[in-house]
Amino acid sequence: MRLLVIEDENRLSGILKSKFGDIGFAVDIAGSAADASAALELINYDAAILDLGLPDGDGLAVLTAARRIGKALPILILTARDAVEDRVAGLNAGADDYLTKPFAITELIARIKALLRRPGGVLGMTLEAGNLRLDTVGRDLTIGGMSVRLSRRELAILEQMMRRFGRIVPKAVLEEKLYGIDEEPDSNPIPVHIHHLRRQLDAAGASLMIHTIRGVGYILAETKV
Amino acid sequence: MSRRIKSLQLRLTVELAALFLVASCLAVGGLIYSASLTAGSLADRELGLRAEDLARYVSLDGNRKPRLELPPSLEQAYSAAAQQSLFAIGDKDGHLIEASSPEIGAMAARWPQADFEPSYFRLSKFGPLERDYSGVSIKLDSAVGPLSVLVAEVSGGNQLVHSILREFVFDIAWYVPPFVAVALLLAAYSVRRSLLPLRAASAQASAIGPGSIALRLPEADVPTEALPLVVAVNHALDRLEQGFVIQRRFTANAAHELRTPLTVITARLETLEGNGQLSALREEVARMNRLVEQLLCVARLDSVALDVSSPLDLHELAEEVVGSMAHLALSACRTVALTGADHPVLVTGNAAAIADALRNLIENALAHTAPGTEVVVEVGPEGAISVQDSGPGIPAEDRRHIFERFWRGKGVRAHGAGLGLAIVMEIVRAHGASITVSDRVPRGARFDLRFRAA
Repeated sequence: MRLLVIEDENRLSGILKSKFGDIGFAVDIAGSAADASAALELINYDAAILDLGLPDGDGLAVLTAARRIGKALPILILTARDAVEDRVAGLNAGADDYLTKPFAITELIARIKALLRRPGGVLGMTLEAGNLRLDTVGRDLTIGGMSVRLSRRELAILEQMMRRFGRIVPKAVLEEKLYGIDEEPDSNPIPVHIHHLRRQLDAAGASLMIHTIRGVGYILAETKV
Repeated sequence: MSRRIKSLQLRLTVELAALFLVASCLAVGGLIYSASLTAGSLADRELGLRAEDLARYVSLDGNRKPRLELPPSLEQAYSAAAQQSLFAIGDKDGHLIEASSPEIGAMAARWPQADFEPSYFRLSKFGPLERDYSGVSIKLDSAVGPLSVLVAEVSGGNQLVHSILREFVFDIAWYVPPFVAVALLLAAYSVRRSLLPLRAASAQASAIGPGSIALRLPEADVPTEALPLVVAVNHALDRLEQGFVIQRRFTANAAHELRTPLTVITARLETLEGNGQLSALREEVARMNRLVEQLLCVARLDSVALDVSSPLDLHELAEEVVGSMAHLALSACRTVALTGADHPVLVTGNAAAIADALRNLIENALAHTAPGTEVVVEVGPEGAISVQDSGPGIPAEDRRHIFERFWRGKGVRAHGAGLGLAIVMEIVRAHGASITVSDRVPRGARFDLRFRAA
């Protein structure tokens, strides 16, 4: 897995390199827009992390240039929290995700992995969160190494939750996914599925649980509260 | 006076009124004085004429002695009983020819010879009736040779003065009070009118604050006398603005520059394997991160006028913010929820700023409530949104202060820097929205925001 980190702050890029190195990524560092464009053109990276504030130019220019020459790799941009316009412009210019500075490295890694797991992404079809592993092709779930059997609908819900591990999954998204694959008119409402799923995760000793955020949706997170 | 009366209008009125009072006193005094002068000279002339009259009626009798023969009308006027007028006539040797009463005759005999030049005198408490008289004694030529004539009249001359004054008061003086009143009104009105631009300037001045330091006082129409002050204030504001801008730029720059090293520290700390101390350190750094973000937010709100003109869906925005804060809440062993309207609630404002405000309110609520509790965001119709918690609530005496920068409640564990609610207030203010704090039933605090419906 080859990752390009485009970041002019040496200390930060050093940490990113070592941290991504630990989980098996080969990391290249570009400290300027010019280096970054050259590197992206030469090498087929699997993903890139792009800081929008570069010393010799706009990070957005790097992004548009890469998309123009047909590079489809997932690119995550780093922005300042107050620069809403940058964020929007970045996403419009073809960025796949963004993180605001300062950020947690673990979240950055999770986001990059999620990008690579997307349909067409390089990371296999296995989702991992806590002690849960889900093979999205074989529809196979293991919790702490033990295989667990779930219904198709429950699996579909869990897959969505694992793809957005640690982030909210709006009710509407779940409804959409569920009724897309299951058109039975008498199917249970989502809270019932969530209830069943929760019980089975608990019974299987999952290190995560599904929390309900009233009025918004559900979130898969560490077992607390 | 100037020390006690600060109002220019009142001062001018009072001073003018005093001036009018003094002027009227002087005028009336002068009038009385000149009236009495006039009255005096009139009386003197009258006496002179009467002396000449008397002299004319002196003639020689059969014995060639001078004697007075008055016509009946004068006889009555000089009758002894009335004692209204007195006279005494003597010949050139000082022998008394005739007197209206024995007393005046006796007195005239004691007097020196009269001169051709009239000499005026006064008699007080004279005669049997003890009345005051004024009179003249003069030497006059007559058919019988030079005569000394003394004529006196009861002094009642004041009557003339009174009548002159009465005339004056009725004919002229009545229009003085209305004139004075009109003059005073005119003065007050003109002062008020010329000070109107200053009122406009004060209205403008009260609008000047940290968020509107570019405002200046209007210099047009300001009275020339006050112009130097207004100009000087504007120059002072110029200098203040410069200082302010430098200060703000400094805050923004400092916060911005702090961000990168903080990101590095955060990242380094994450890569370290550690014990309890390390997680304490992480918490501290997280706190610092938040503080730097808030400082940046404050600096931004101070320096840039917020564009609050975009239509937005408050419900959608609340859903996003609550969703984005769910993980933070859960990792702090608390939870968040969204209730109320489940349809779009359209308002006019700045989505990013309102989201910031909501985030700060939720962070605040999470920080002040017990683990296991829920922070509820409720979106109502007509642009209302509230954040409710189940914490200890906010004491009534603190409610005035909670929106001040760097203010923290007593007895509350020092959690944040006291900037969160100040940021909320700035955003609310920029939107022309309202915010109220109240108790939640059965327990907890409740912040109600109301934005302008789109």
